[in-house]
Amino acid sequence: MKKRVFSADKLRNNLSFFVVFLIFGFILVLQLRSVKINDEQPTSEELARASELSEMLIKEKEKNESLSEDLAQANEQLDQFRKEASESGDYANVLSKQIEKVEMMAGLRAVKGPGLTVTLSDSTAASANGVSENNYVIHHEDLLAVVNELWDAGAEAISINGERLIATSEIRCAGSVVSVNNNRYSIPYVISAIGDPATMKSALEMRGGVVDKLTIWDIDVQIEEKSELTVNAYSGTISQKYAVPVTTGE
Amino acid sequence: MLFAMIGLIIGICAGLVFPGYIPKEYSIYVAIALLSAFDTVIGGVLARLEHRYNDKVFLSGFIINSLLAALLIYAGSLLDIELYYAAIVVFGVRLFQNFASIRRILLNSHQKK
Repeated sequence: MKKRVFSADKLRNNLSFFVVFLIFGFILVLQLRSVKINDEQPTSEELARASELSEMLIKEKEKNESLSEDLAQANEQLDQFRKEASESGDYANVLSKQIEKVEMMAGLRAVKGPGLTVTLSDSTAASANGVSENNYVIHHEDLLAVVNELWDAGAEAISINGERLIATSEIRCAGSVVSVNNNRYSIPYVISAIGDPATMKSALEMRGGVVDKLTIWDIDVQIEEKSELTVNAYSGTISQKYAVPVTTGE
Repeated sequence: MLFAMIGLIIGICAGLVFPGYIPKEYSIYVAIALLSAFDTVIGGVLARLEHRYNDKVFLSGFIINSLLAALLIYAGSLLDIELYYAAIVVFGVRLFQNFASIRRILLNSHQKK
């Protein structure tokens, strides 16, 4: 009799153990899985921030669009004035010729002529042991070096990926892209230059020169001479907040 | 112990196939409840080895400790005090003590043989 009670007790004990371990195992695994899933999902704050940012981006884009429309209108007007001026006499004619020349120098007018294009792409070579990957990608310094060499070789107009370089143009690293005239461009970088193709080419390919330095890292440099190419006009606005012209004798 | 093992395995399998998961906000509650459950489980094993096991104490401890721990966290979040540290410390210390006792009992029984 006593033995039977004991075994019933034992069964009950075993059963309670069974239940508790079952629940324990269940919650344990569920929690482990939940932690993993939760880590992968963005939090609600992150989502809110993301949507806020994308809204801001859309607004900025709209602003940008309306501004460039304004710019296009203003340019049209300017063209009209110019036309009127050139049609109204000799003095005006001279003036408009002069304006043309100045505009060409300032980069406000698209120009064409003989020249070359330089196309730069990141290296496809695997990085050697212990050498930073950084050496195998194109940096703004590389673009600056090429542009500098081109100016030196007598280039008269240069654009990077269609962005005309003017007196205030920057070529600056902006994360993984390069900012030119405050617009961002990524690889491949196509530099178009108008000038004497042969001179510019040999300036770039000079021994120990820019191209030599880039090809050490297997960076892809392609130079194409062209009998005629067009370099776009500067499409942005030029605002001078601080500088004012100095009149002689002042 | 066989029942416990079978229970654990079934529980783990059920957890693996269970659809849905615990949202992040409740994660800490479940974690603390889990810790207290673990403490109870180890305590139960020890009590069994010491032949002073009582299934009523065990079951009520398992459920009430888990709920109490979760409640403690909730109270802490209302008062802006991180009370779960208290739960972690208490359960952690108890876990180590119980493990030590289990180890001693197992070692002793081994030596007797």
